[in-house]
Amino acid sequence: MAGPLTKYAFVNATLRARISKLISDDIFLQMAHAGSLEEVLTLLRETSFSDLEELYEKTGDLLVIEQKMLIDEIALYTSLEKYLHKETVQFVKTLLLRFEIDNLKNALRLFFDRVFRKRPVENLVHYLIHRTIYYEVSLDVIVNANDFGEIIQVLSNTPYGAIIKDNRSVVEEEQTLFRLEIALDHFYYNRLQEMIHKLSKKDTALASRLIGVEIDLQNINWIIRFRNFYSLSMDEAIPLLIPTGNTVDIKHLKSIYASQNVSSQLEHIVKKGYPGMTTLLTAPTSDASSRFVLIERVLDEIMKQEVKKILSGYPFTIGIVLAYFILKGSEIRRLRTIMHAKQYTIAQERIEGLL
Amino acid sequence: MFTTEMIRLFAVVLERDNEVVTETLLREGVIQFINVSNIEGETGEKLDDVKRQSLVNDLIELRRSIEGLLHPLKIYPDHPKEIDLENRSPIDISAERKKLSEIAKKRETFRERQRLLQQEILKLEDIKRQVDLYGLKFSNVKLSSQHSFITMQIGIVAAEKRDEMERSMKELPSVVLPIGNEEGMEHLLLISMKRDARTVEEILHKVGWHPVELPKEMQTIKSSIAQDLTKKIDKLTENQKALSDSAKELVVKEVERLKEVWVSIRVNELFYAVQNYFMRSSRTMIFSGWLPIAKQERIEKKLLAVTDNRCYLEWLSAQESKGQEHEIPVQFTNPKVFKPFQMLVKNFGVPQYGTIDPTPFVMPLYLIMFGLMFADVGQGIVLSLLGFGLSKIMAKKKDSEGVLTFLSLITWCGFSSAFFGLLFGSYFGAPWFDALWFDFHGIVAGHGSEASMISNIYDILAITIFFGIAVIVMGLLFNWINLIKQRKWLELLFDKGGILGGWMYGGGVYVGSYMISHDYSFPNATIMTLLFGIPAALLILKEPLHLLLHPESLSGKGNVFAAFCAKLPGMIMEWGVELLEIFSGYLSNTLSFMRVAGLGIAHVSLMVAFFTMAEMAGGRGIGPILILILGNILVICLEGLSAGIQALRLNYYEFFTKFFHGTGKLYAPVSLDSRDY
Repeated sequence: MAGPLTKYAFVNATLRARISKLISDDIFLQMAHAGSLEEVLTLLRETSFSDLEELYEKTGDLLVIEQKMLIDEIALYTSLEKYLHKETVQFVKTLLLRFEIDNLKNALRLFFDRVFRKRPVENLVHYLIHRTIYYEVSLDVIVNANDFGEIIQVLSNTPYGAIIKDNRSVVEEEQTLFRLEIALDHFYYNRLQEMIHKLSKKDTALASRLIGVEIDLQNINWIIRFRNFYSLSMDEAIPLLIPTGNTVDIKHLKSIYASQNVSSQLEHIVKKGYPGMTTLLTAPTSDASSRFVLIERVLDEIMKQEVKKILSGYPFTIGIVLAYFILKGSEIRRLRTIMHAKQYTIAQERIEGLL
Repeated sequence: MFTTEMIRLFAVVLERDNEVVTETLLREGVIQFINVSNIEGETGEKLDDVKRQSLVNDLIELRRSIEGLLHPLKIYPDHPKEIDLENRSPIDISAERKKLSEIAKKRETFRERQRLLQQEILKLEDIKRQVDLYGLKFSNVKLSSQHSFITMQIGIVAAEKRDEMERSMKELPSVVLPIGNEEGMEHLLLISMKRDARTVEEILHKVGWHPVELPKEMQTIKSSIAQDLTKKIDKLTENQKALSDSAKELVVKEVERLKEVWVSIRVNELFYAVQNYFMRSSRTMIFSGWLPIAKQERIEKKLLAVTDNRCYLEWLSAQESKGQEHEIPVQFTNPKVFKPFQMLVKNFGVPQYGTIDPTPFVMPLYLIMFGLMFADVGQGIVLSLLGFGLSKIMAKKKDSEGVLTFLSLITWCGFSSAFFGLLFGSYFGAPWFDALWFDFHGIVAGHGSEASMISNIYDILAITIFFGIAVIVMGLLFNWINLIKQRKWLELLFDKGGILGGWMYGGGVYVGSYMISHDYSFPNATIMTLLFGIPAALLILKEPLHLLLHPESLSGKGNVFAAFCAKLPGMIMEWGVELLEIFSGYLSNTLSFMRVAGLGIAHVSLMVAFFTMAEMAGGRGIGPILILILGNILVICLEGLSAGIQALRLNYYEFFTKFFHGTGKLYAPVSLDSRDY
């Protein structure tokens, strides 16, 4: 079995160099202050996103830009494979499932809108990613299908076929993809947990912790949505959550769900694991949506703290790979937020709040 | 040798002279301002900020907006000149914003049209992709693939209905291709998606579409449809490009005006940036900042002249600014020739104000180290030509100053390599001419001349050790000079790099050379005591003396003697650790220089290996020549890089650490060509 130095020495150096080139907060602030989307793209010239400016000049289409960013993000994962030891490659490949599932969800939403809601989908069909990410998934068939049967058939060679088959009746009955999407997310996290346990002992502990934080964020996000948008009872909601979080276990999740004030419950949990962050939660907020943004920010901060711990700790672990993906993902998310905000001329102060 | 001497100006000017004074300060561009926010007015009244920051922020945003328009066209306006300052007029920020937003709006309309075309292109590309993947389904022909999502049909519509049909079909991914017309009727080929069958049917019904039988020859139409689709996509792409060009043209038309506005904004931005450092009382303005002492007279004259002597100027030397030593900016004043080596120094840090700037010493040291590790006339010339040639190419590019400095360093390294190549008689690894000093290749290959002073590998190692000792001694001397200048007497005597440390290092060098010349036996006890015992014993006084000079560190702990006794075991422990550090540190610092010989030997060995390979390949003909060429390329890249890095490492860790504290602040005054403000 290869030692940690053999497995991670080179990739550690490569990724640390890449991390140093991530867009700085100062540039993000400049982007938030920019007068237009084109100005934002000009500021990206000295970054790894320099080609977006030319693409926008050519097409004028922000969705094309977003599609390119997504393709590039996927390529980041695959490009790392050559630097990784074979024991780690499979784990990193599994992380790609997230992109595939998101892409699949988008295709399913288009199918659902077209067939069940009778809405036109022509202008969005072209922004799907048709290349293979993990499994062979024919998005053409999904988008053009007349019923779920065709989709199940074309996905029968992938795990998604069975998931869709299991959820077909509930989707058709409830006329929403909500439960199917949750099931797909569960599949992703379960598969990830399986792969984590195939890593070395040290890597397993580290990856469990980081993915656990991600699951915590996902669960709390869901809780807020389940209550605010789907009005689910606790008995309905709790089984839909993922039980393998880092700090927030099922007991905590139940208490959060039962509480009228999610942020005060969250404060208890944050106090335990991340004492420095409780002040963030006590910031005054005027309405439910800004409260929601605040909670998301706190959760994001928690993730950042975990990444910081990894970057300042022992370098030869899977942590550096995960830290890089998290930081890069966060960079892309922030960038996407700014670009959308500029496209829809959202006020600068609000953009800064969203960052 | 030392950093430039600076002087601090403290000035009080009348409110009415505010503008002319700001203009003068900006025009001269020599003052690095400091905040005077804590200074009270003469009458005890609190001074106010001039409050220009929000204005400066607005100007910066406006400037960046203009850059957002100009930079994509690769247009970078020049920095403002004195004439621009003289003609400075206030900027109507909201009016300029309005103009910029008009351009942006117009450009947005082009982008929107581009986006619509993009959607058309994507639709056609989607059809083309599916045609390529799955083939076509003809309404009266067998399916070419069960997964085909495209349907194709031929029919006729009245000529006047064709436009209506095309307009309606535009909403869907579809293609309408004319294939002929007859008596006012258009024959059309329609390709659409199966999923849109119902909508298509409705449209066709509305325009009076009559389907006709598909001719047999149309069954092999796939390739021609692909071509038609490609043509359509190309046409749309052309239109998109035309729109993109029109969007560019919008800015091009405004370039001259935008450049002028940019300069005007920049002048105002700098003007207010200077004023940001001003504090205001009821009738006066106060500011303060550092400038090189050589500029004192000129700036004084200028300020007195523009204010008709209505100002108060006070000059404070660095010595008079107690407690602010760390705030004094550091200016490098090396000739241009030292620029690449100054870059190496700056990379490590900026020297403290008033200490030695090592740049003039880094140049010879770095080049000697590099030359010893990479000695070859041919390879050196190649390196120099490479550095010089690339710098000529890069000189045309904007913002390439850093790269040019680096290329200049490569050129210098090439010269050094060629010089040492002459000394060692190496020409692309071959001994074409006799060595001027000694035959490095001969020694490494095992046939060095006994007649030469340097005749074996040990002699080469010895050269580098002596060189290392000289570098370390130089570092120690610089440290002593810095400490004397800063009047840090205790550190001068007791510091690891102080006199006692140097004494022990000198002792170590003597003992080392004595042992080599006396069959590895030590000098007698008296000498050893003199060289190591006395300085080691004196070193133990360091902490007690420090406590004596700073008794406050013992106060508040009850009985001073008891507090001292409590500290004693720690002091003894520290003394032991420091002694160990001195001995092991200096030994490893000195031996570290053996890498110079090591890299030099590796360089020669690699060339010998390539010559042997060329011999094995027959010695003559194209093959051996290729081996030698590739070998030289490899050596230039690989060895050149490692020699450069090792020379840098030796300078940073064996030389700089003896005397250099990179904690200074670089002198960056606000001037018309400032980049940092």
